[in-house]
Amino acid sequence: MNMIDLAAVVSQVRRGMIPAHVYGDPEIFALERDRLFSRSWVFLAHESEIPDPGDYVVRRVLTDSFIVVRDEAGTIHVMFNMCLHRGMQVCRAELGNASHFRCPYHAWTYRNDGRLAGLPFHEDAYGGEDGFARSGQRLLPAPAMDTYRGLIFISLDEKAPPLRDYLGDFAFYLDFYVNQSPAGIELRGPQRWRVKANWKIGAENFAGDSYHTPHTHASVVEIGLFREPKASKRKEGALYQAGPGAGTTYKLPPGGDFASQLRYVGYPDAMIPAMSQTWTDQQKALVADSGFMVSAATLFPNLSLVHNWPQIDDRGTVRPFISLRQWQPVSERETEVLSWFAVDAAAPEEFKRDSYKAYLMCFGISGMFEQDDVENWVSITDMATGSMARRLNLNSRMGLTSDGKPVKPPIAAFAGPGVAYQGFGEYGQRHWLSQWSDHLEREPAPKQATDLGVAR
Amino acid sequence: MSRPLPYSDPAHLAAHQFLVEEAALLDAADYSGWLALLTEDIRYVMPVRVTTARGAPASNDMGHFDEDMYALRKRVQRLATDHAWTEDPPSRTRHFVTNVRTFRAGPDELRVESALLLFRSRGDTREADLISAGRADLLRETSGGLMLARREITVDEAVLRTQNLAVFL
Repeated sequence: MNMIDLAAVVSQVRRGMIPAHVYGDPEIFALERDRLFSRSWVFLAHESEIPDPGDYVVRRVLTDSFIVVRDEAGTIHVMFNMCLHRGMQVCRAELGNASHFRCPYHAWTYRNDGRLAGLPFHEDAYGGEDGFARSGQRLLPAPAMDTYRGLIFISLDEKAPPLRDYLGDFAFYLDFYVNQSPAGIELRGPQRWRVKANWKIGAENFAGDSYHTPHTHASVVEIGLFREPKASKRKEGALYQAGPGAGTTYKLPPGGDFASQLRYVGYPDAMIPAMSQTWTDQQKALVADSGFMVSAATLFPNLSLVHNWPQIDDRGTVRPFISLRQWQPVSERETEVLSWFAVDAAAPEEFKRDSYKAYLMCFGISGMFEQDDVENWVSITDMATGSMARRLNLNSRMGLTSDGKPVKPPIAAFAGPGVAYQGFGEYGQRHWLSQWSDHLEREPAPKQATDLGVAR
Repeated sequence: MSRPLPYSDPAHLAAHQFLVEEAALLDAADYSGWLALLTEDIRYVMPVRVTTARGAPASNDMGHFDEDMYALRKRVQRLATDHAWTEDPPSRTRHFVTNVRTFRAGPDELRVESALLLFRSRGDTREADLISAGRADLLRETSGGLMLARREITVDEAVLRTQNLAVFL
C-alpha cells in the first residue's frame, strides 16, 4: 500500500498542477473514502421527498446505505440500513411509506424512528433483557445529521461542525436555488445512471468551468436552445468562490432592474414578488446592481446545482429550471449520477410544467447539455488510469500569473460574499481542489464501534 | 385488456413492419427519416423506474424523457450539428424489437406493445451498454400510412448503465 507519495500529489495540486492519475487511481480513491467521505457533510435528500409520516428514501454515502425517513411525529431520521442482529438490509426498496421496517432474515422489526420494536422469541432465545437488552436499541443513526432549507445532509464524523457553519458564505448563493419563496423547493426524481467517469470531474466542472461551455455546448447554441453559452457572453460571467462552494454566473443585460432581470431569464410575474420578499437586499443586489444570475455551482464535495433558461417551444418562450445533482462515487472509474429537478413549491403549476420540460431538454441523462459533458468526463477517466498519466501534471492554473497572482483583480463591486472574478479562469476548480487537499492530508477520524445488547 | 390481434391479422403485420422499419432508421442514424414517422402531437415518454415494495408505485414521477415534437426536433437538430460530441464518433447501435402484440385501440388507432433490447457500443476500449425496455405505442393510421402518436418506454433498470440517452428507444 501507499505506492503514491501523497504529500507530493497534494503539493502539486496546491500549485494548480494536477497529477492526472488522481482521476483514475484506486489508492487516491481509498484515501478519499477514508479521509474525505468519512468526515465531510454529504447531501442525501430533500424534505419534500418525504412529506408525510412514514415516507422514506434510501440513499448512500459511497457503499453505506441509509434510510432517510419521517417518523409518525414528523421528525426526520437518518439511519444505517443494517439490521442490528445479522446485518441484513432492513429496507430493500429505494422509496416508499412504512410504519416499520422488518428484517426479512429473522424478523427483527424497527419502528420508522429506528427503535427496535420486535425481536421474536426474546425470552426463549436470549433469556429476555439479560441476554439481549432490547430496550432503547435502535438502528444505528448517521453519526451527524443536519438540514438547511429542507436539504438533508449527514456526516460520518460525529464531531462535524453544524451544517450552517459549514455552509458559511455559500449559503448566500445556495438560496438562489433552494429558497425562492417561503414555500422552499420541491424535487422530482432523481434520475440515476452510472457513468465510467471519476466523480471529481463533474464536481470541479460545476464549480467554475465556464471555459468549456462555448465549445462543449456549442450545439445547444447552434440549435437555438440556449443562447447564453456563446463565448462572447460566457466570459462576461462572474466566477465566485465562497465558503465550501464555488460557481458560475451569467452577465445579465445592462440596465435592468430586479424584476426585469428575473423576467429576462423567464420567471413569470407571479413568482417575482416572493423572490423579492424572500431574498435579502444583498442577494437582490447581485442580480439588480452587479447584474449576475447564478448558473452552475458545486458545494464541496459532491453536490452540484444548475440554473439555466432555455427556450422551450417554437414561440420562443424562455423558462428557467433548477437541478440538484450528486456525483456519487462508485469507484475511481465510475460514478453514479443522481439528478433531481427542483422548483419553487409555490410556483404556478404551468411554470412547474414548463420548467420541468426545460430541465429534461438540458440536463439529466437525456439532457442536451449533459450528454456532451459526460462524453468528456468518461474520456478523461479512461486516460487517467494508465502509467502515462503519472507522467503528466494537468495545468489547472488558468487565471493565475506565473507568480500565482490573479491575472485580473477580483470584481470590486460584486454584491455577493467570498471573492469573484470576471472572465475565464479555474478559480472555482482550484478552490474545490484546495478543500480536497485539506481532507486528504488529514488522518482518518477514529471510529468507535458500538456493542449491541450486551451489558456494559 | 382485450386480446391481441391474431399474428396473421393485416393490422398486426403492418404494425410489426412499422416497428422493424423504424428500428432500421434508428440504427442507420437516419433521424430526420425517423421524425417523419411521428405525428405532430407525438408524446414520447420514458418514466424513471424505482425499486419499491410489491404493490407500491414503481415510478417517482420523474422521466428520462418526456418529449413533444419541439423537443424531439431539437434533439435531432442537435445531432445534425458538427458539435454533438457524444455521438461523434457515433455509437454503433442495434435495436432488437420482439414480443410484438397489437391491439385495436380505435377506428384508426392501434396500440402496439413490444420488447426492446438496445445494444450500444462506443469506441474500442469500453464495454458495450445494453438497455432493456418494454414499449407501449399508439400507432395512427393516416393517409400516409402508420405514424407513431405516443410511445411510453418502460425501462427495466432503476439505475441506467449508459453514459447518456443521446439515442432513441
